[in-house]
Amino acid sequence: MTTAILAEGLVKHFAPDIRAVDGIDLSIPEGQIFGFLGPNGSGKTTTVRMLTTLLRPTAGRAEVAGLDVVRQAGQVRRRIGVALQEAGLDDLQTGRELLRLQGHLYGLDQDQAKRRATHLLELVDLAPDADRAIKGYSGGMKRRLDLAAALMHEPKIVFLDEPTTGLDPISREAIWREVRQLNVEEKVTFFLTTQYMEEADRLADELAIMNHGRIVAQGTPAQLKAAIGTDVVTVRIERGEADRVRAVDLLRALDGVEQVRSVDEDVVVYIRDGRRAIARIILLLDEASVQVDEVSLAHPTLDDVFLRKTGHHIETEARS
Amino acid sequence: MHMLRDTYYLMARSLRESVRQPAVELTNIFIPMFFFAVTVGAIGNVAGRAFGVTNFLAFQMPVAVLQAVAGAAGSAGLATTTDIERGYFDKLLLTPTPRLSLVLGRLSADAVRAMGLTLLILIAGLAAGSGMAAGPLGAVVILVLAGMFGLAYSAIGMAIALRTGSPQAAQAGFLIFFPLLFLSPAFAPKEVFAGWLEFLATINPVTYILQGMRHLILDGWSAGSLAGALASIVGLGAFTLTLTLSALRWRTS
Repeated sequence: MTTAILAEGLVKHFAPDIRAVDGIDLSIPEGQIFGFLGPNGSGKTTTVRMLTTLLRPTAGRAEVAGLDVVRQAGQVRRRIGVALQEAGLDDLQTGRELLRLQGHLYGLDQDQAKRRATHLLELVDLAPDADRAIKGYSGGMKRRLDLAAALMHEPKIVFLDEPTTGLDPISREAIWREVRQLNVEEKVTFFLTTQYMEEADRLADELAIMNHGRIVAQGTPAQLKAAIGTDVVTVRIERGEADRVRAVDLLRALDGVEQVRSVDEDVVVYIRDGRRAIARIILLLDEASVQVDEVSLAHPTLDDVFLRKTGHHIETEARS
Repeated sequence: MHMLRDTYYLMARSLRESVRQPAVELTNIFIPMFFFAVTVGAIGNVAGRAFGVTNFLAFQMPVAVLQAVAGAAGSAGLATTTDIERGYFDKLLLTPTPRLSLVLGRLSADAVRAMGLTLLILIAGLAAGSGMAAGPLGAVVILVLAGMFGLAYSAIGMAIALRTGSPQAAQAGFLIFFPLLFLSPAFAPKEVFAGWLEFLATINPVTYILQGMRHLILDGWSAGSLAGALASIVGLGAFTLTLTLSALRWRTS
Protein backbone atom coordinates (compact mmCIF):
# COMPACT_ATOMS: atom_id res chain seq x y z
CA MET A 1 0.00 0.00 0.00
CA THR A 2 1.34 3.45 -0.90
CA THR A 3 1.82 6.17 1.65
CA ALA A 4 -0.54 9.11 1.27
CA ILE A 5 0.88 11.34 4.01
CA LEU A 6 4.34 11.16 5.51
CA ALA A 7 5.93 13.35 8.17
CA GLU A 8 9.40 13.04 9.63
CA GLY A 9 10.45 15.07 12.63
CA LEU A 10 8.01 17.83 11.69
CA VAL A 11 8.48 20.94 13.84
CA LYS A 12 6.87 24.38 13.91
CA HIS A 13 7.96 27.04 16.35
CA PHE A 14 6.29 30.43 16.55
CA ALA A 15 8.54 32.91 18.24
CA PRO A 16 11.50 31.14 19.83
CA ASP A 17 9.61 29.69 22.77
CA ILE A 18 6.26 28.58 21.37
CA ARG A 19 6.63 25.01 20.20
CA ALA A 20 3.30 24.52 18.45
CA VAL A 21 4.44 21.27 16.85
CA ASP A 22 7.42 19.68 18.45
CA GLY A 23 8.65 16.84 16.28
CA ILE A 24 6.02 14.50 14.91
CA ASP A 25 6.29 11.46 12.66
CA LEU A 26 3.40 10.14 10.62
CA SER A 27 2.95 7.52 7.95
CA ILE A 28 -0.60 7.30 6.69
CA PRO A 29 -1.45 4.76 3.99
CA GLU A 30 -3.75 5.51 1.07
CA GLY A 31 -7.43 4.88 1.66
CA GLN A 32 -7.34 5.40 5.39
CA ILE A 33 -9.40 7.71 7.58
CA PHE A 34 -6.76 9.02 9.93
CA GLY A 35 -7.89 10.81 13.06
CA PHE A 36 -5.77 13.46 14.73
CA LEU A 37 -7.17 13.83 18.23
CA GLY A 38 -6.20 16.38 20.81
CA PRO A 39 -7.41 19.32 22.87
CA ASN A 40 -7.38 22.93 21.68
CA GLY A 41 -3.89 24.25 21.32
CA SER A 42 -2.27 20.82 21.03
CA GLY A 43 -0.85 21.57 17.57
CA LYS A 44 -3.45 19.89 15.34
CA THR A 45 -4.24 22.90 13.20
CA THR A 46 -0.59 23.88 12.87
CA THR A 47 0.17 20.36 11.64
CA VAL A 48 -2.63 20.55 9.09
CA ARG A 49 -1.43 23.95 7.89
CA MET A 50 2.05 22.55 7.32
CA LEU A 51 0.80 19.44 5.54
CA THR A 52 -1.43 21.55 3.29
CA THR A 53 1.39 23.98 2.31
CA LEU A 54 -0.04 26.97 4.18
CA LEU A 55 2.77 27.04 6.74
CA ARG A 56 6.44 26.36 6.25
CA PRO A 57 7.85 23.89 8.80
CA THR A 58 10.62 25.12 11.10
CA ALA A 59 12.31 21.74 10.80
CA GLY A 60 11.66 18.24 9.52
CA ARG A 61 9.91 17.33 6.32
CA ALA A 62 6.57 16.11 5.05
CA GLU A 63 5.27 14.52 1.89
CA VAL A 64 1.73 14.37 0.65
CA ALA A 65 0.95 12.10 -2.30
CA GLY A 66 4.69 11.50 -2.56
CA LEU A 67 5.41 15.23 -3.04
CA ASP A 68 7.38 17.48 -0.71
CA VAL A 69 5.06 20.05 0.90
CA VAL A 70 7.64 22.83 0.71
CA ARG A 71 9.53 22.24 -2.53
CA GLN A 72 6.54 20.93 -4.50
CA ALA A 73 3.83 22.97 -2.80
CA GLY A 74 2.03 23.80 -6.04
CA GLN A 75 1.72 20.15 -7.05
CA VAL A 76 0.62 19.16 -3.55
CA ARG A 77 -2.19 21.75 -3.68
CA ARG A 78 -3.53 20.25 -6.90
CA ARG A 79 -3.84 16.83 -5.28
CA ILE A 80 -5.40 17.69 -1.95
CA GLY A 81 -8.76 18.95 -0.79
CA VAL A 82 -8.87 21.02 2.38
CA ALA A 83 -11.65 22.23 4.65
CA LEU A 84 -10.14 24.36 7.37
CA GLN A 85 -11.57 25.02 10.79
CA GLU A 86 -14.37 27.62 10.78
CA ALA A 87 -15.46 27.04 7.20
CA GLY A 88 -13.82 29.82 5.23
CA LEU A 89 -16.51 30.94 2.84
CA ASP A 90 -17.67 34.06 1.08
CA ASP A 91 -21.04 35.24 2.38
CA LEU A 92 -22.00 37.22 -0.69
CA GLN A 93 -21.87 34.33 -3.15
CA THR A 94 -24.37 31.53 -3.45
CA GLY A 95 -23.33 27.97 -2.66
CA ARG A 96 -23.33 27.07 -6.33
CA GLU A 97 -21.24 30.11 -7.31
CA LEU A 98 -18.68 29.33 -4.65
CA LEU A 99 -18.29 25.74 -5.86
CA ARG A 100 -18.06 26.74 -9.50
CA LEU A 101 -15.39 29.36 -8.77
CA GLN A 102 -13.51 26.75 -6.76
CA GLY A 103 -13.72 24.39 -9.73
CA HIS A 104 -12.48 27.04 -12.17
CA LEU A 105 -9.49 27.79 -9.98
CA TYR A 106 -8.58 24.10 -10.25
CA GLY A 107 -8.79 24.33 -14.01
CA LEU A 108 -12.25 22.86 -14.64
CA ASP A 109 -14.03 24.38 -17.64
CA GLN A 110 -17.54 25.88 -17.44
CA ASP A 111 -19.26 22.62 -18.19
CA GLN A 112 -17.20 20.44 -15.85
CA ALA A 113 -17.49 22.94 -13.01
CA LYS A 114 -21.22 23.17 -13.47
CA ARG A 115 -21.75 19.42 -13.47
CA ARG A 116 -19.42 18.75 -10.56
CA ALA A 117 -21.04 21.50 -8.47
CA THR A 118 -24.51 20.09 -9.08
CA HIS A 119 -23.34 16.60 -8.16
CA LEU A 120 -21.67 17.71 -4.93
CA LEU A 121 -24.55 19.94 -3.87
CA GLU A 122 -26.72 16.85 -4.01
CA LEU A 123 -24.15 14.75 -2.19
CA VAL A 124 -24.05 17.17 0.75
CA ASP A 125 -27.81 17.75 0.68
CA LEU A 126 -27.58 21.40 -0.28
CA ALA A 127 -29.32 21.23 -3.65
CA PRO A 128 -32.42 23.11 -2.45
CA ASP A 129 -30.30 25.94 -1.04
CA ALA A 130 -27.71 26.05 -3.82
CA ASP A 131 -28.83 29.39 -5.24
CA ARG A 132 -29.24 31.23 -1.96
CA ALA A 133 -26.54 33.53 -0.58
CA ILE A 134 -24.23 31.72 1.84
CA LYS A 135 -24.94 34.49 4.36
CA GLY A 136 -28.22 32.72 5.19
CA TYR A 137 -26.74 29.24 5.71
CA SER A 138 -26.62 27.59 9.13
CA GLY A 139 -23.33 26.45 10.66
CA GLY A 140 -23.95 22.87 9.54
CA MET A 141 -24.80 23.92 5.99
CA LYS A 142 -21.60 25.98 5.78
CA ARG A 143 -19.51 23.02 6.89
CA ARG A 144 -21.16 20.79 4.33
CA LEU A 145 -20.58 23.37 1.61
CA ASP A 146 -16.97 23.71 2.70
CA LEU A 147 -16.60 19.93 2.46
CA ALA A 148 -18.11 20.02 -1.04
CA ALA A 149 -15.68 22.81 -2.01
CA ALA A 150 -12.80 20.66 -0.83
CA LEU A 151 -14.01 17.88 -3.15
CA MET A 152 -14.59 19.93 -6.33
CA HIS A 153 -11.44 18.76 -8.10
CA GLU A 154 -11.86 15.13 -6.99
CA PRO A 155 -8.81 15.01 -4.74
CA LYS A 156 -7.76 11.63 -3.42
CA ILE A 157 -6.43 13.09 -0.15
CA VAL A 158 -8.65 15.36 1.92
CA PHE A 159 -7.77 17.29 5.07
CA LEU A 160 -10.60 18.26 7.39
CA ASP A 161 -9.69 20.46 10.33
CA GLU A 162 -12.27 19.96 13.09
CA PRO A 163 -15.08 19.47 10.58
CA THR A 164 -17.79 19.08 13.22
CA THR A 165 -16.72 21.42 16.03
CA GLY A 166 -19.72 23.43 17.16
CA LEU A 167 -22.23 21.41 15.14
CA ASP A 168 -25.38 19.82 16.47
CA PRO A 169 -25.50 15.99 16.62
CA ILE A 170 -27.57 15.65 13.45
CA SER A 171 -25.24 17.79 11.35
CA ARG A 172 -22.31 15.93 12.83
CA GLU A 173 -23.78 12.57 11.80
CA ALA A 174 -24.34 13.95 8.30
CA ILE A 175 -20.66 14.89 7.94
CA TRP A 176 -19.56 11.50 9.27
CA ARG A 177 -21.82 9.72 6.80
CA GLU A 178 -20.39 11.70 3.88
CA VAL A 179 -16.81 11.12 4.94
CA ARG A 180 -17.37 7.39 5.26
CA GLN A 181 -19.19 7.20 1.95
CA LEU A 182 -16.40 9.00 0.09
CA ASN A 183 -13.82 6.85 1.78
CA VAL A 184 -15.54 3.63 0.75
CA GLU A 185 -16.85 4.56 -2.69
CA GLU A 186 -14.12 6.83 -4.00
CA LYS A 187 -11.20 5.57 -1.90
CA VAL A 188 -10.49 9.06 -0.60
CA THR A 189 -7.86 9.24 2.15
CA PHE A 190 -8.97 11.51 4.99
CA PHE A 191 -6.82 13.33 7.52
CA LEU A 192 -9.24 14.60 10.09
CA THR A 193 -8.52 16.55 13.23
CA THR A 194 -10.95 16.52 16.09
CA GLN A 195 -11.27 17.28 19.75
CA TYR A 196 -14.15 14.83 20.06
CA MET A 197 -13.24 11.34 21.18
CA GLU A 198 -16.46 9.93 19.88
CA GLU A 199 -15.68 11.24 16.43
CA ALA A 200 -12.19 9.75 16.46
CA ASP A 201 -13.52 6.48 17.81
CA ARG A 202 -16.32 6.08 15.32
CA LEU A 203 -14.72 7.45 12.20
CA ALA A 204 -10.99 6.85 12.27
CA ASP A 205 -9.30 3.67 11.09
CA GLU A 206 -6.22 4.81 12.90
CA LEU A 207 -5.45 7.78 15.06
CA ALA A 208 -2.77 9.79 16.72
CA ILE A 209 -3.34 11.56 20.01
CA MET A 210 -1.69 14.95 20.27
CA ASN A 211 -0.73 16.86 23.39
CA HIS A 212 1.48 19.95 23.58
CA GLY A 213 2.79 19.52 20.06
CA ARG A 214 3.71 15.87 20.39
CA ILE A 215 2.04 12.59 19.51
CA VAL A 216 1.50 10.78 22.80
CA ALA A 217 -0.16 7.65 21.40
CA GLN A 218 -0.88 6.20 17.99
CA GLY A 219 -2.78 3.16 16.70
CA THR A 220 -6.28 1.97 15.88
CA PRO A 221 -8.89 3.00 18.45
CA ALA A 222 -9.22 -0.63 19.53
CA GLN A 223 -5.45 -1.05 19.91
CA LEU A 224 -5.15 2.11 21.96
CA LYS A 225 -7.93 1.10 24.28
CA ALA A 226 -6.66 -2.47 24.56
CA ALA A 227 -3.20 -1.17 25.39
CA ILE A 228 -4.59 0.18 28.61
CA GLY A 229 -5.19 -3.47 29.48
CA THR A 230 -7.41 -2.75 32.43
CA ASP A 231 -10.85 -1.58 33.33
CA VAL A 232 -11.41 1.88 34.69
CA VAL A 233 -13.02 2.40 38.07
CA THR A 234 -13.82 6.00 38.88
CA VAL A 235 -14.38 6.84 42.54
CA ARG A 236 -15.85 10.25 43.27
CA ILE A 237 -14.78 11.73 46.60
CA GLU A 238 -16.28 15.17 47.00
CA ARG A 239 -15.39 15.86 50.62
CA GLY A 240 -11.78 16.85 50.45
CA GLU A 241 -8.37 16.81 48.93
CA ALA A 242 -6.89 15.03 51.94
CA ASP A 243 -9.29 12.10 51.55
CA ARG A 244 -8.49 11.82 47.87
CA VAL A 245 -4.76 11.75 48.57
CA ARG A 246 -5.31 9.04 51.17
CA ALA A 247 -7.50 7.09 48.78
CA VAL A 248 -4.85 7.22 46.06
CA ASP A 249 -2.26 5.80 48.46
CA LEU A 250 -4.53 3.06 49.70
CA LEU A 251 -5.71 2.03 46.26
CA ARG A 252 -2.19 1.85 44.84
CA ALA A 253 -1.55 -1.07 47.13
CA LEU A 254 -4.47 -3.11 45.81
CA ASP A 255 -3.89 -6.28 43.79
CA GLY A 256 -4.24 -5.84 40.02
CA VAL A 257 -3.91 -2.07 40.05
CA GLU A 258 -1.93 -0.65 37.17
CA GLN A 259 -2.24 3.00 37.92
CA VAL A 260 -4.19 5.43 40.14
CA ARG A 261 -4.70 9.07 39.28
CA SER A 262 -6.45 11.92 41.04
CA VAL A 263 -8.39 14.05 38.57
CA ASP A 264 -10.60 16.86 39.88
CA GLU A 265 -12.96 15.23 42.38
CA ASP A 266 -12.33 11.75 41.02
CA VAL A 267 -9.82 9.10 41.80
CA VAL A 268 -9.37 7.02 38.66
CA VAL A 269 -8.18 3.45 39.15
CA TYR A 270 -6.87 1.39 36.23
CA ILE A 271 -7.39 -2.13 37.46
CA ARG A 272 -7.66 -5.61 35.97
CA ASP A 273 -11.00 -7.34 36.27
CA GLY A 274 -12.79 -4.22 37.44
CA ARG A 275 -16.06 -6.01 38.13
CA ARG A 276 -14.57 -7.99 40.99
CA ALA A 277 -12.29 -5.20 42.16
CA ILE A 278 -15.08 -2.75 42.78
CA ALA A 279 -16.21 -4.43 46.00
CA ARG A 280 -12.67 -4.50 47.34
CA ILE A 281 -12.20 -0.83 46.52
CA ILE A 282 -15.32 0.23 48.38
CA LEU A 283 -14.49 -1.95 51.35
CA LEU A 284 -10.97 -0.62 51.61
CA LEU A 285 -12.08 3.01 51.48
CA ASP A 286 -14.86 2.41 53.95
CA GLU A 287 -12.46 0.85 56.46
CA ALA A 288 -10.26 3.94 56.13
CA SER A 289 -13.31 6.18 56.68
CA VAL A 290 -13.02 7.83 53.26
CA GLN A 291 -16.47 8.98 52.23
CA VAL A 292 -17.26 7.80 48.72
CA ASP A 293 -19.90 9.72 46.77
CA GLU A 294 -20.04 7.73 43.59
CA VAL A 295 -18.38 4.73 41.99
CA SER A 296 -18.50 3.76 38.34
CA LEU A 297 -16.94 1.04 36.24
CA ALA A 298 -16.16 1.35 32.55
CA HIS A 299 -14.15 -0.19 29.79
CA PRO A 300 -11.44 2.17 28.70
CA THR A 301 -12.33 4.95 26.25
CA LEU A 302 -10.03 7.12 24.17
CA ASP A 303 -10.35 9.70 26.90
CA ASP A 304 -8.84 7.18 29.30
CA VAL A 305 -6.01 6.68 26.84
CA PHE A 306 -5.48 10.42 26.80
CA LEU A 307 -5.83 10.69 30.57
CA ARG A 308 -3.38 7.87 31.09
CA LYS A 309 -0.80 9.56 28.87
CA THR A 310 -1.23 13.15 29.97
CA GLY A 311 -2.94 13.29 33.35
CA HIS A 312 -5.95 15.26 32.19
CA HIS A 313 -9.11 14.78 30.16
CA ILE A 314 -9.33 15.85 26.54
CA GLU A 315 -12.70 17.45 26.63
CA THR A 316 -12.39 19.33 29.90
CA GLU A 317 -9.52 21.20 28.28
CA ALA A 318 -11.46 21.66 25.11
CA ARG A 319 -14.31 23.24 27.00
CA SER A 320 -12.22 25.67 28.98
CA MET B 1 -3.17 31.80 -19.94
CA HIS B 2 -3.97 30.16 -16.68
CA MET B 3 -3.33 33.43 -14.88
CA LEU B 4 -5.57 35.48 -17.17
CA ARG B 5 -8.37 32.96 -16.88
CA ASP B 6 -8.21 32.80 -13.09
CA THR B 7 -7.93 36.58 -12.86
CA TYR B 8 -11.08 36.81 -14.93
CA TYR B 9 -13.02 34.42 -12.69
CA LEU B 10 -11.87 36.19 -9.53
CA MET B 11 -12.71 39.57 -11.03
CA ALA B 12 -16.18 38.32 -11.93
CA ARG B 13 -16.63 37.20 -8.34
CA SER B 14 -15.64 40.64 -7.01
CA LEU B 15 -18.02 42.35 -9.41
CA ARG B 16 -20.85 40.03 -8.31
CA GLU B 17 -20.22 41.24 -4.78
CA SER B 18 -20.58 44.86 -5.91
CA VAL B 19 -23.86 44.12 -7.60
CA ARG B 20 -25.07 42.56 -4.35
CA GLN B 21 -24.08 45.57 -2.26
CA PRO B 22 -25.59 48.39 -4.29
CA ALA B 23 -25.52 50.76 -1.32
CA VAL B 24 -21.72 50.85 -1.46
CA GLU B 25 -21.73 51.82 -5.14
CA LEU B 26 -24.42 54.43 -4.58
CA THR B 27 -22.21 56.11 -1.98
CA ASN B 28 -19.25 55.90 -4.32
CA ILE B 29 -21.12 57.76 -7.05
CA PHE B 30 -23.09 60.12 -4.82
CA ILE B 31 -20.12 61.76 -3.10
CA PRO B 32 -18.17 62.83 -6.21
CA MET B 33 -21.38 63.88 -8.00
CA PHE B 34 -22.39 65.95 -5.00
CA PHE B 35 -19.04 67.76 -4.79
CA PHE B 36 -19.02 68.17 -8.55
CA ALA B 37 -22.41 69.92 -8.50
CA VAL B 38 -21.70 72.00 -5.40
CA THR B 39 -18.26 73.16 -6.54
CA VAL B 40 -19.48 74.12 -9.99
CA GLY B 41 -22.52 75.82 -8.46
CA ALA B 42 -20.43 77.80 -5.98
CA ILE B 43 -17.38 78.80 -8.01
CA GLY B 44 -18.49 78.29 -11.61
CA ASN B 45 -19.78 81.84 -12.10
CA VAL B 46 -16.68 83.58 -10.75
CA ALA B 47 -14.03 81.18 -12.08
CA GLY B 48 -13.68 83.11 -15.35
CA ARG B 49 -13.10 86.42 -13.62
CA ALA B 50 -11.01 84.91 -10.82
CA PHE B 51 -8.57 82.76 -12.77
CA GLY B 52 -9.64 82.73 -16.37
CA VAL B 53 -11.48 79.40 -16.52
CA THR B 54 -14.67 79.99 -18.44
CA ASN B 55 -15.90 76.41 -18.67
CA PHE B 56 -15.59 75.48 -14.99
CA LEU B 57 -17.95 72.52 -15.41
CA ALA B 58 -15.48 70.90 -17.82
CA PHE B 59 -12.57 72.04 -15.69
CA GLN B 60 -14.06 70.29 -12.67
CA MET B 61 -15.21 67.07 -14.38
CA PRO B 62 -11.86 65.22 -14.09
CA VAL B 63 -11.76 66.06 -10.37
CA ALA B 64 -15.09 64.25 -9.95
CA VAL B 65 -13.70 61.38 -12.01
CA LEU B 66 -10.60 61.01 -9.84
CA GLN B 67 -12.64 61.26 -6.66
CA ALA B 68 -14.97 58.51 -7.89
CA VAL B 69 -12.03 56.35 -8.94
CA ALA B 70 -10.46 56.74 -5.50
CA GLY B 71 -13.73 55.72 -3.84
CA ALA B 72 -14.08 52.66 -6.07
CA ALA B 73 -10.45 51.73 -5.50
CA GLY B 74 -11.00 51.25 -1.79
CA SER B 75 -12.95 48.02 -2.32
CA ALA B 76 -10.18 45.59 -3.21
CA GLY B 77 -8.29 46.07 0.03
CA LEU B 78 -11.39 46.11 2.18
CA ALA B 79 -12.87 43.00 0.57
CA THR B 80 -9.54 41.22 0.92
CA THR B 81 -9.47 41.86 4.66
CA THR B 82 -12.93 40.29 4.84
CA ASP B 83 -11.64 37.25 2.94
CA ILE B 84 -8.68 37.04 5.30
CA GLU B 85 -10.87 37.33 8.40
CA ARG B 86 -13.35 34.72 7.18
CA GLY B 87 -10.60 32.29 6.20
CA TYR B 88 -11.71 32.36 2.58
CA PHE B 89 -8.37 33.83 1.57
CA ASP B 90 -6.68 30.67 2.88
CA LYS B 91 -9.07 28.62 0.81
CA LEU B 92 -8.05 30.58 -2.28
CA LEU B 93 -4.37 30.21 -1.38
CA LEU B 94 -4.90 26.45 -1.23
CA THR B 95 -5.99 26.31 -4.85
CA PRO B 96 -3.31 26.05 -7.54
CA THR B 97 -4.32 29.45 -8.90
CA PRO B 98 -1.36 31.80 -9.46
CA ARG B 99 -0.88 34.07 -6.43
CA LEU B 100 -0.86 37.06 -8.72
CA SER B 101 -4.38 36.26 -9.92
CA LEU B 102 -5.71 36.52 -6.37
CA VAL B 103 -4.51 40.11 -6.30
CA LEU B 104 -5.17 41.08 -9.91
CA GLY B 105 -8.71 39.70 -9.79
CA ARG B 106 -9.60 42.15 -7.04
CA LEU B 107 -7.64 45.06 -8.50
CA SER B 108 -9.09 44.69 -11.96
CA ALA B 109 -12.59 44.55 -10.49
CA ASP B 110 -11.87 47.93 -8.91
CA ALA B 111 -10.65 49.16 -12.29
CA VAL B 112 -13.90 48.06 -13.94
CA ARG B 113 -15.95 49.72 -11.22
CA ALA B 114 -13.88 52.88 -11.53
CA MET B 115 -14.64 52.92 -15.26
CA GLY B 116 -18.33 52.41 -14.59
CA LEU B 117 -18.48 55.36 -12.20
CA THR B 118 -16.41 57.48 -14.61
CA LEU B 119 -18.87 56.73 -17.38
CA LEU B 120 -21.73 58.01 -15.21
CA ILE B 121 -19.83 61.22 -14.44
CA LEU B 122 -18.99 61.78 -18.09
CA ILE B 123 -22.62 61.29 -19.04
CA ALA B 124 -23.76 63.71 -16.34
CA GLY B 125 -21.11 66.30 -17.27
CA LEU B 126 -21.79 66.08 -21.00
CA ALA B 127 -25.51 66.35 -20.38
CA ALA B 128 -24.88 69.49 -18.33
CA GLY B 129 -22.90 70.97 -21.21
CA SER B 130 -19.24 70.36 -20.41
CA GLY B 131 -18.42 69.44 -23.99
CA MET B 132 -15.54 67.16 -25.02
CA ALA B 133 -12.92 68.86 -27.14
CA ALA B 134 -11.18 65.61 -28.07
CA GLY B 135 -14.45 64.04 -29.24
CA PRO B 136 -15.84 60.57 -28.42
CA LEU B 137 -12.41 58.97 -28.56
CA GLY B 138 -11.28 61.44 -25.90
CA ALA B 139 -14.02 60.14 -23.61
CA VAL B 140 -12.82 56.58 -24.23
CA VAL B 141 -9.26 57.59 -23.33
CA ILE B 142 -10.52 59.18 -20.09
CA LEU B 143 -12.29 55.91 -19.27
CA VAL B 144 -9.12 53.92 -19.89
CA LEU B 145 -7.01 56.31 -17.81
CA ALA B 146 -9.58 56.09 -15.01
CA GLY B 147 -9.43 52.30 -15.11
CA MET B 148 -5.65 52.25 -15.03
CA PHE B 149 -5.51 54.79 -12.23
CA GLY B 150 -8.15 52.76 -10.35
CA LEU B 151 -5.99 49.64 -10.57
CA ALA B 152 -2.84 51.47 -9.48
CA TYR B 153 -4.60 53.23 -6.63
CA SER B 154 -6.44 50.15 -5.44
CA ALA B 155 -3.09 48.38 -5.00
CA ILE B 156 -2.31 50.68 -2.04
CA GLY B 157 -5.30 49.39 -0.07
CA MET B 158 -4.48 45.85 -1.21
CA ALA B 159 -0.89 46.09 0.04
CA ILE B 160 -2.10 47.35 3.41
CA ALA B 161 -4.78 44.66 3.56
CA LEU B 162 -2.34 41.86 2.84
CA ARG B 163 0.18 43.20 5.29
CA THR B 164 -2.17 43.95 8.20
CA GLY B 165 -5.39 42.01 7.55
CA SER B 166 -7.10 45.00 9.13
CA PRO B 167 -10.14 46.62 7.49
CA GLN B 168 -9.49 49.92 9.29
CA ALA B 169 -5.97 50.10 7.95
CA ALA B 170 -7.09 49.19 4.43
CA GLN B 171 -9.71 51.93 4.52
CA ALA B 172 -7.10 54.41 5.64
CA GLY B 173 -5.36 53.52 2.37
CA PHE B 174 -7.66 55.55 0.22
CA LEU B 175 -7.77 58.45 2.65
CA ILE B 176 -4.21 59.07 1.47
CA PHE B 177 -5.74 60.14 -1.79
CA PHE B 178 -7.54 63.17 -0.47
CA PRO B 179 -4.51 65.27 0.39
CA LEU B 180 -3.02 64.23 -2.95
CA LEU B 181 -6.15 65.40 -4.76
CA PHE B 182 -6.02 68.84 -3.14
CA LEU B 183 -2.28 69.21 -3.65
CA SER B 184 -3.06 69.47 -7.35
CA PRO B 185 -4.77 72.09 -9.53
CA ALA B 186 -8.15 70.59 -8.59
CA PHE B 187 -10.08 73.82 -8.11
CA ALA B 188 -7.92 76.39 -9.87
CA PRO B 189 -5.01 76.45 -12.31
CA LYS B 190 -1.59 75.94 -10.77
CA GLU B 191 -0.47 79.37 -11.93
CA VAL B 192 -2.60 81.15 -9.32
CA PHE B 193 -1.32 78.99 -6.41
CA ALA B 194 0.97 80.19 -3.62
CA GLY B 195 4.56 79.18 -4.26
CA TRP B 196 4.73 76.28 -1.82
CA LEU B 197 1.46 74.78 -3.09
CA GLU B 198 2.54 75.20 -6.70
CA PHE B 199 5.71 73.29 -5.87
CA LEU B 200 3.82 70.44 -4.21
CA ALA B 201 1.37 70.30 -7.11
CA THR B 202 4.27 70.08 -9.56
CA ILE B 203 5.74 67.01 -7.89
CA ASN B 204 2.34 65.36 -7.32
CA PRO B 205 1.62 62.65 -9.93
CA VAL B 206 -2.13 63.25 -9.55
CA THR B 207 -1.59 66.72 -11.09
CA TYR B 208 -0.54 65.16 -14.40
CA ILE B 209 -3.38 62.65 -14.47
CA LEU B 210 -5.81 65.47 -13.80
CA GLN B 211 -4.27 67.74 -16.44
CA GLY B 212 -4.19 64.94 -18.99
CA MET B 213 -7.91 64.33 -18.62
CA ARG B 214 -8.69 68.03 -18.43
CA HIS B 215 -6.83 68.73 -21.64
CA LEU B 216 -8.92 66.15 -23.50
CA ILE B 217 -12.13 67.79 -22.31
CA LEU B 218 -11.20 71.47 -22.65
CA ASP B 219 -8.60 71.69 -25.39
CA GLY B 220 -8.46 68.43 -27.34
CA TRP B 221 -5.53 66.15 -28.08
CA SER B 222 -2.05 66.86 -26.75
CA ALA B 223 0.66 64.24 -26.86
CA GLY B 224 2.58 65.93 -24.06
CA SER B 225 -0.19 66.06 -21.51
CA LEU B 226 -1.36 62.56 -22.39
CA ALA B 227 2.16 61.22 -21.97
CA GLY B 228 2.40 63.01 -18.62
CA ALA B 229 -0.82 61.35 -17.43
CA LEU B 230 0.25 57.92 -18.63
CA ALA B 231 3.71 58.20 -17.13
CA SER B 232 2.26 59.26 -13.78
CA ILE B 233 -0.17 56.36 -13.72
CA VAL B 234 2.43 53.81 -14.77
CA GLY B 235 4.93 55.18 -12.25
CA LEU B 236 2.38 55.16 -9.45
CA GLY B 237 1.22 51.68 -10.48
CA ALA B 238 4.76 50.31 -10.54
CA PHE B 239 5.27 51.61 -7.02
CA THR B 240 1.94 50.38 -5.56
CA LEU B 241 2.04 47.00 -7.31
CA THR B 242 5.54 46.41 -5.99
CA LEU B 243 4.25 47.11 -2.50
CA THR B 244 1.33 44.73 -3.07
CA LEU B 245 3.50 41.93 -4.40
CA SER B 246 5.92 42.19 -1.52
CA ALA B 247 3.00 42.15 0.92
CA LEU B 248 1.61 39.07 -0.84
CA ARG B 249 4.96 37.34 -0.65
CA TRP B 250 5.15 38.21 3.03
CA ARG B 251 1.68 36.78 3.70
CA THR B 252 2.23 33.54 1.83
CA SER B 253 5.73 32.71 3.05
